[in-house]
Amino acid sequence: MKKSSIPIVKQPLSSWVLGENLKLQIILVLIIAITVFARVIPLEMQKRIINEAINLRKMDLLFLYCGIYLVAVLLASGLKYVITILQTLISERVLANMRKGLFEHLITLPLSFYRKAQPGMVVSALVTELTSAGAYVGQAISTPIINILTLVTFAGYLVFQNWLLAVISFAIYPIIIFLIPMLQKRANLYNKKRVDNTRILSSRIGEAITGIHEIQGNGTFRVENNRFGKIVDEMLRIRIIWTLYKQGVKVGNNFFVNLGPFIIFILGGYLAMNGQLELGAMVAFLSAQEKLYDPWKELIDFYQVYMDASVSYKRTMEYFDMPVEFLLEDHSRPIYDLDGSIEVKDLSFVTDSGIQLLENISLSLKPGETLALVGFSGSGKSTLALCIGQLYKYTDGHIYIGEKEVAEMTKQDMVNNMGFVSQSPFIFSGTIEENLLYSVSALQDLKGDILLTSLDDKIAVLHQTGIFLDVLRFGLNTILSRESHADLTEQLIRVRENFKREYGQKLADYFEFFDEERFLYHASVADNLFLGSANTPDFAESGLIHNPYFLEFLSQAELARPLISLGAELIKQTVDILGSLSPDAIFFEQSPITLEEWDDARRIADQLKRTRLNQMHKNDQDYLLRLALRFKPGSHKLVSLPPILERLILDARSLFREKIALDHPNAFSFYKISEYIYTQTILNNILFGQVTTSNPKALDLINQSIIQLIIEEDFLETIVEIGMQFDVGSKGDRLSGGQRQKLAIARSFLKAPRLMIMDEATSALDNKSQTRIQNLIDTRWKGKSTIISVVHRLDIIKNYDKVAVMKAGKIIELGSYDELIARKGVLYELVGGKK
Amino acid sequence: MSLSAEKNEPCQTCEFQENLKILREIYFFSEIPIESLKVFAYLCTREKFREGDYLFTQDDDDGQAFYIISGSADLIYSRDGVDQIIRSYEPGIFFGGLTLLGNTRRLFSMRATTEMICLILSRDKFSRAMEQFPALMPGMFQSIVDGIRQWEEQFLADRSEGCVSCQKKIGVSLL
Repeated sequence: MKKSSIPIVKQPLSSWVLGENLKLQIILVLIIAITVFARVIPLEMQKRIINEAINLRKMDLLFLYCGIYLVAVLLASGLKYVITILQTLISERVLANMRKGLFEHLITLPLSFYRKAQPGMVVSALVTELTSAGAYVGQAISTPIINILTLVTFAGYLVFQNWLLAVISFAIYPIIIFLIPMLQKRANLYNKKRVDNTRILSSRIGEAITGIHEIQGNGTFRVENNRFGKIVDEMLRIRIIWTLYKQGVKVGNNFFVNLGPFIIFILGGYLAMNGQLELGAMVAFLSAQEKLYDPWKELIDFYQVYMDASVSYKRTMEYFDMPVEFLLEDHSRPIYDLDGSIEVKDLSFVTDSGIQLLENISLSLKPGETLALVGFSGSGKSTLALCIGQLYKYTDGHIYIGEKEVAEMTKQDMVNNMGFVSQSPFIFSGTIEENLLYSVSALQDLKGDILLTSLDDKIAVLHQTGIFLDVLRFGLNTILSRESHADLTEQLIRVRENFKREYGQKLADYFEFFDEERFLYHASVADNLFLGSANTPDFAESGLIHNPYFLEFLSQAELARPLISLGAELIKQTVDILGSLSPDAIFFEQSPITLEEWDDARRIADQLKRTRLNQMHKNDQDYLLRLALRFKPGSHKLVSLPPILERLILDARSLFREKIALDHPNAFSFYKISEYIYTQTILNNILFGQVTTSNPKALDLINQSIIQLIIEEDFLETIVEIGMQFDVGSKGDRLSGGQRQKLAIARSFLKAPRLMIMDEATSALDNKSQTRIQNLIDTRWKGKSTIISVVHRLDIIKNYDKVAVMKAGKIIELGSYDELIARKGVLYELVGGKK
Repeated sequence: MSLSAEKNEPCQTCEFQENLKILREIYFFSEIPIESLKVFAYLCTREKFREGDYLFTQDDDDGQAFYIISGSADLIYSRDGVDQIIRSYEPGIFFGGLTLLGNTRRLFSMRATTEMICLILSRDKFSRAMEQFPALMPGMFQSIVDGIRQWEEQFLADRSEGCVSCQKKIGVSLL
């Protein structure tokens, strides 16, 4: 990308037109010149075909001229296509660069900007607003040149043929250019009125519906009808005028365009009869007349594009035109390696709107010391931490980290020396591992590959922050593929045997075994039918409903109709409950319907109200069957499985085994205690069954037992490594609040910075995890990293070297915990108040 | 296993209907219209606890509200390692509504004294559902305000006049 000394938000739109596109633009202009020439040739050929070939009955000339005509038309069309490609290339390149440049700028804007900015506005700026600017840049040179050149060339050619006729037929266009926009303006005005009026109308209707009980209770039907009638009448008037102007534009346009030939016929005919104009020239005029319209129109459209682009570009850039508070990098010196000492002197912070958040703060910390910032909400403790961490630019006083002023350091200096955990940490979409490496990757960018993080490091921080078990659980819930982890399966079978021996009975309440004789309530109907995994795609879940062998089997087992009915019941119930909501993944956790299928499901539910099941479209019946096959009675509780269907499925299970053994003996691997099941998760393989509980404490118990066994087999790390590939979902929404916070702490710990700022970093954690992290700070980090911790709970601050109590933007007490308690001041009261 | 299957009733939506009936009788959901309440009933899950299992533990933020369908549990407060049983909870009691509204750590533990079945709604599901019905929030607050007021009203009526330490702690409804 082009690096310019002017910030992107100050660059005028015109600066994008040439720049790195200069070469392409020059090529474009050259191609345009040839195109315009190719466009005039057919006119001349038309004239010659009539005047020379037809008039004089010369066949060879007819072929020659027609040949030239054809070549010119082909050339003009081909070149037009090339022009479009080049324009698109320029547009898209510029758009991509604008987006990259603006994004690069906007993620460096101060946090205060984002407190006021609407995320929607930022999104639309990058996604939609800039597209018109990009489109304009692609056309900026080529469109005016090609059209003006075409017009001038045509005009020149026609004047050369007959100046009088040329001037008169050209005279129509200026009229069109002035009259049509005038009509259009009026149409736009009325369109705006129409939109405003629609809003009034909508709000009136909304009011009437919300207050319907008042209308009916008071019997004010007439009053309401009158009010509504007035708005509708006004609407009627506006819509008629709007349509008149709108249609006026169309009719006017058509009229003038059609007027052209009329003038040529009457005036040209007159001249031709008088011998002042050749017949061929008149035909050339006629076709030139038609072709003139397009360049005019394109020019007018281009003007519109230019206006739109310059307005939206200017608005977008002005919106983000704000100075960046800190430099990203400074090439004139090496990046600072600081010692972690902190010195804050007379620090004040006043917001743009004049509110004083910090006042005359002074404190100092030696490298490796820990400081707890406490106080009521709004006392400024977070603000102070954010100022030290260079997230806010303080307005007065000084902060020195390792004797360097924070305000004058670059972001790279901070990356190199600081770790930051925010109050509500944000986890980005991707895997656990990607998020774990998020902070460290910025450091690696600075220092190159020397800092590669080892698996041991990663596992160590997962342990330290207490998210290890969660990651292990994600690993256990993974389905292994035959290709990637075949080596693990033997060990897993051994774990399965050991688990059954040691914990099978103890934990039997929490899962159900894969038992040939029993129905599994937490497995799908399809799993219940087979109790095995398919070895061919025809029998995999997605292929089943198109597999004739399977469908025939369902009919034989008398399951086809009841299952389709079950699917119908599922859809009906789910749509009844969720139908009016905007879909959210969480609503589909307890349903076999997926978020992606929701629109279809609603449509089918609607049809089911009107159509009998057996009259439904084949595809829809297939979908209902698919739903029924996915149905898990233990977790999809909207519908329960009728006992008779349960018995039918169990009967079908043994029938299927007999049948498939004869017909396709290799199609299935049935669940055997001695074999690994590749379609089930690691956990289900170890249990040789399905978990039936969602109680976190019970799940912990199961996990603890399994971990013991995995440690014995020595592949715990492998499972954790698999677990680290867990996709956390958009904004990390597949993780709990506690997991997100632990992951955020882990990513800072992994970086092992000299200064660590933790802004209520443990607030969403349970007691045990919080204590664990506190212990870690006391033992592992004390003396190595300077730690500034904004703390809400006062029972974890005893071991901090210093405690600062804040109130209304000032430090009112500062000292060690014991000193402050002995002083019996505010901290003493706060702690006492807690008890 | 679904209850309806156990009872052998030919009802295709029993558990959901039962959940809905339960929610309709809970004060916390009293301001929610039936169409929206269906969503909450759908999002509830049933969980079995064995005797001695903890439903939640002191100082944890488990983010769940419970309704006891069967069985009973003790509310326990631990201080300096000593457990004190505050009271017992029986079937038909709902607790944990405040937990649904925001992050908060438990001040007590709850331990099953028999085998139990509870209806559970988690904060995550509750808040995602509430996002769909922002208009219900004022009603929800009203239920909470009413709940706290009624609690204290009852406390004032029940306390013995001589209880000095009670006197000092009166006023939770003034929060």
